[in-house]
Amino acid sequence: MCVLFSRPADDITMNYLHYFSKELVHLSNSLGHKTINKEKDRANRKEIISLIKKQEPNLIMFNGHGSPNEICGHKQEVIVSSDDNPEILKDTIIYSLSCASAAILGKKAVDVGAVSFIGYGQDFALGKDPDSEASPRHDKIAKLFLEPSNLLFSSLIQGKDVKSSVEKAKAKMMENVWYLNTTKSFTEAIYYAPFLFSNYIGLVAHGNQRASIEK
Amino acid sequence: MKNRHIEEIKKQIVIERLRQAPPSVKISFGNSNGGFMSRDQMIEQVEKDTEIGKKIIKIQLEYLRSFKGNTLDGD
Repeated sequence: MCVLFSRPADDITMNYLHYFSKELVHLSNSLGHKTINKEKDRANRKEIISLIKKQEPNLIMFNGHGSPNEICGHKQEVIVSSDDNPEILKDTIIYSLSCASAAILGKKAVDVGAVSFIGYGQDFALGKDPDSEASPRHDKIAKLFLEPSNLLFSSLIQGKDVKSSVEKAKAKMMENVWYLNTTKSFTEAIYYAPFLFSNYIGLVAHGNQRASIEK
Repeated sequence: MKNRHIEEIKKQIVIERLRQAPPSVKISFGNSNGGFMSRDQMIEQVEKDTEIGKKIIKIQLEYLRSFKGNTLDGD
């Protein structure tokens, strides 16, 4: 199996996504998949599109800024757009950790041949530890937002189907929302809950729900 | 006229909810230029009726409605 990662890191938010997705790259490697990790400035349109065409990955994870029509890479360069090149995602399962790309691009990609497109139908929110010195590694709040996302993609990498992978992620999101609503361990917790709940509402999957990299 | 009044009430509800949060709360959301918005920056977006501000209102009200619909009953 071939797994492609696009992991820019050119701003604070992307740096957080880059850090937290590192374990997914390790997991993919450890499972013996052909793992192509394009990170930082290598997560650009030219390289990603070339790799998709040449390597025909079974599974792709995009970290990046986005919109209902687009997924971006390094320095917000558009990599895939519903108006330009949705067909390059043909025959692939995609997970897009980007704002709103499931709203239009996701549906269009499936219409033109993508197996499944998992993403967010509205903007993805990420909370950050108020301690300004906290790095991603120590950020307990960001972890609550990104842990469900990692669970989703690790499930896909391990051969589970789209439906169960999304369900697992949503269950974890609700668990974390509940935690934020009830914990006394930090006073800001309850104010992050609406944003994580928004991610729960926004997470959707288009296309074949029973698809997996095993099939 | 009535709709505008309701929208203004929604906006004020959200602003008051955001004001309850500590100023240190930070969220990255939408087109926040890759950075994290503080509580006060979020309030400003809502007050100015920006696209991000409207999305923040939608998020907060969606969350409040979820209590009515028992989505958050934790079972």
